[in-house]
Amino acid sequence: MSAPPIRIEGVATERPEPGTKDVVFDINDLTVSYDGQPAIRGARFEVYRNFVTAIIGPSGCGKSTFIRCLNRMNDLIRGASVEGTILYHGQDLYGRDVDPVEVRKRIGMVFQKPNPFPKSIYDNAAFGPRVLGMTDDLDGRVERALQQAALWDEVKDRLKRSALSLSGGQQQRLCIARCLAVEPDVILMDEPASALDPIATTRIEDLMHELKRDYTIVIVTHNMQQAARVADMTAFFSVDKLEDGARTGVLVEYDATPKIFTQPSDKRTEDYVTGRFG
Amino acid sequence: MRVTLQEELDSLQASLSEETELVLRALRGSINALRENDPELADEVIAFDDEVDALYLAIEQGIESLLARQTPVAVDLRFVLAVLHSNLHLERMADLCVTIAKLTKLAHGLPPDEMLVEGFDEMASRAEEMIRVALDSFVERDVQGAESLVDLDELIDRTNRRVVKHVLELGGDPERREWGLRMIVISRCLERVGDHAVDIGEQTAYLVTGEFREFTDASHPDRVDT
Amino acid sequence: MRGGRRDVRGAIFRLALLASLGIAFVTLGALLVDVASKGFEFLDPFFFTHPPSTDPHQAGARPAILATLYLGVLLLLFTVPVGVGTAIYLEEYADKNRWYNRLLEVNIQNLAAVPSIVYGILGLAFIVRGLGLGRVVLAGALILTLLVLPTVIIAAREAIRAVPDSIRQAAFALGATRWQVISRQVLPAAIPGIATGSILALSRGIGETAPLIMIGALTYIAFDPTLLGPFSALPVQIYNWTSQPQEDFLKLAATGIIVLLGMLLTLNALAIWLRNRYQRQW
Repeated sequence: MSAPPIRIEGVATERPEPGTKDVVFDINDLTVSYDGQPAIRGARFEVYRNFVTAIIGPSGCGKSTFIRCLNRMNDLIRGASVEGTILYHGQDLYGRDVDPVEVRKRIGMVFQKPNPFPKSIYDNAAFGPRVLGMTDDLDGRVERALQQAALWDEVKDRLKRSALSLSGGQQQRLCIARCLAVEPDVILMDEPASALDPIATTRIEDLMHELKRDYTIVIVTHNMQQAARVADMTAFFSVDKLEDGARTGVLVEYDATPKIFTQPSDKRTEDYVTGRFG
Repeated sequence: MRVTLQEELDSLQASLSEETELVLRALRGSINALRENDPELADEVIAFDDEVDALYLAIEQGIESLLARQTPVAVDLRFVLAVLHSNLHLERMADLCVTIAKLTKLAHGLPPDEMLVEGFDEMASRAEEMIRVALDSFVERDVQGAESLVDLDELIDRTNRRVVKHVLELGGDPERREWGLRMIVISRCLERVGDHAVDIGEQTAYLVTGEFREFTDASHPDRVDT
Repeated sequence: MRGGRRDVRGAIFRLALLASLGIAFVTLGALLVDVASKGFEFLDPFFFTHPPSTDPHQAGARPAILATLYLGVLLLLFTVPVGVGTAIYLEEYADKNRWYNRLLEVNIQNLAAVPSIVYGILGLAFIVRGLGLGRVVLAGALILTLLVLPTVIIAAREAIRAVPDSIRQAAFALGATRWQVISRQVLPAAIPGIATGSILALSRGIGETAPLIMIGALTYIAFDPTLLGPFSALPVQIYNWTSQPQEDFLKLAATGIIVLLGMLLTLNALAIWLRNRYQRQW
């Protein structure tokens, strides 16, 4: 007879067995090139529902490129081409009759530098629902979104004021609220806290912990301690040199976060997390 | 703020409390087995140690994971280190209970001395009290409570010395003497349990003050070792 | 640290700058004073309500002022949609690697620098004669449109470019179509810049004389202009009066100049006020 092991509340301790956890993204042999130069090559792994999945790695390893594939933002860049498959709940994200607008309704994105629109706080949160035609109970949608982003109490009396009058941390939470207002399934975050001070950063991290109950979160971060703190699963991308000297990003290791930070399987991962990279 | 970190720290604390309860059960079980001269109960106590070991390992792994992922600093770091050490002391206490149980089995069939066995009951009660005080002080972050463990330990030490004296006076046949030797070791085990409880108290003081110091230096410059 | 060489070259340079500034201001001041003193006599409501006449004391500039106003309105109506539309196409839709887009870019820059009389000749050939419109207000407006269009396009492009890409990215990421991004985010944010640029272009347009002379606005018009009728704009009327020998007509010309300057200064002031009030600091 043995006692059950400690469960760390709210953090995955092991990579889920196949079939035990819903797969939101199934990425297979993903290669993304800009004007013929591959930025990432042959990436393959799964993103699980209601997990926070972090992508870490040195600069140039294709982290941002990768995450922009998940909501087809790379479509906006001329010369970008995507090979391989990304299945979203089993459907090919880049299928022939898939509408990028529909994709982005379900898969939202928060950017590195807070980028609220030069409009009122209310209009920022209401923009998404308005362009997508979700105008019923707009006030309610705005309030719920701001509540979920832990911003409502701070702004409820000044919804008509300009969004630019908020502090950096508040602006970023407004951007998160803006994203939540369209009721997405997945939230992508590209270095969401790198432009913020430590206290604002901690609030965003606590927010992620809350949000993952209802959403699936994928975050790119160059701060590996942040990944260690917030993520259930961590993917480590590194830079590979091709035959012609060009550099491309490859997925090196993908596992539960505790494993990556205590006993990584690949030496490159260990070199990176211990700071002995290069 | 830092909700995840706080949850994990609370979880460690809860696990440590749970481990303490297991150790108390092991101690009670081993003394009962001794008093009733019951080898089956002793076997149960020995098997029960697996539970303590499993929890010990889980706490160890939890600490490793927490340090890697949350990089705690200041009081949080001291807390984690204090839990790390206390975890070890609790596990050692459980091992000592196993030793007592094994010795009970070895002493089975040998002629006991009732007075001595009662003495052990008293020592065990004292040890139990020390374990509870140690854990409560840890949870409450109560340095004075932790320091009071030294005096409680002194009582066990004195009883230990009395046991040795008593055994030396037993004399007589080889079986009696063999039994006496086993009892001396059991007494030593109980005395060691008390020492581990004091060590946990020292961890409490470290957690609160940030300084690590041995309690015994403060109040007992000359300790007589048996 | 104390004393030391004086910066002689620097002092001389500053002196030279102040001197040139002084010369420019003094000259301008002298011209303005001259105009004001000459034109003051005839500056009254009569000037605005009466048509020109052979008798200077009976002359006003009413048809010319009306024509200039019509031209201004038409100019705005034509240039703003076309200019802003072109700017949106170039900034938001065009693939800059295509040759025809690059050609378009280069040509806009060139067209902005072409002398206005060339537009006059162009207008005479293609609009007055080619389209058969004749020497009418509408034709004048179309020619002035061509003249100021490159300026409006450039100003609109700058305003659109000034909208940070992060705004567009955010809007796209929320599921907006390209048109929604432009109409709901980019254009609204660019409007102050576009308005400022348009007003400045407008003020340039209504001050132009040469193209209007080319298409025959130099006639003596004593009746109110209509869109498809002959006309004479204020700058041309002024030019007309200056070529008369009588002293009084020179004074009338000066009055006309005062009115025209007043219009232009008002427009420019409006543009500056708009810019200061609404221009966004990104």
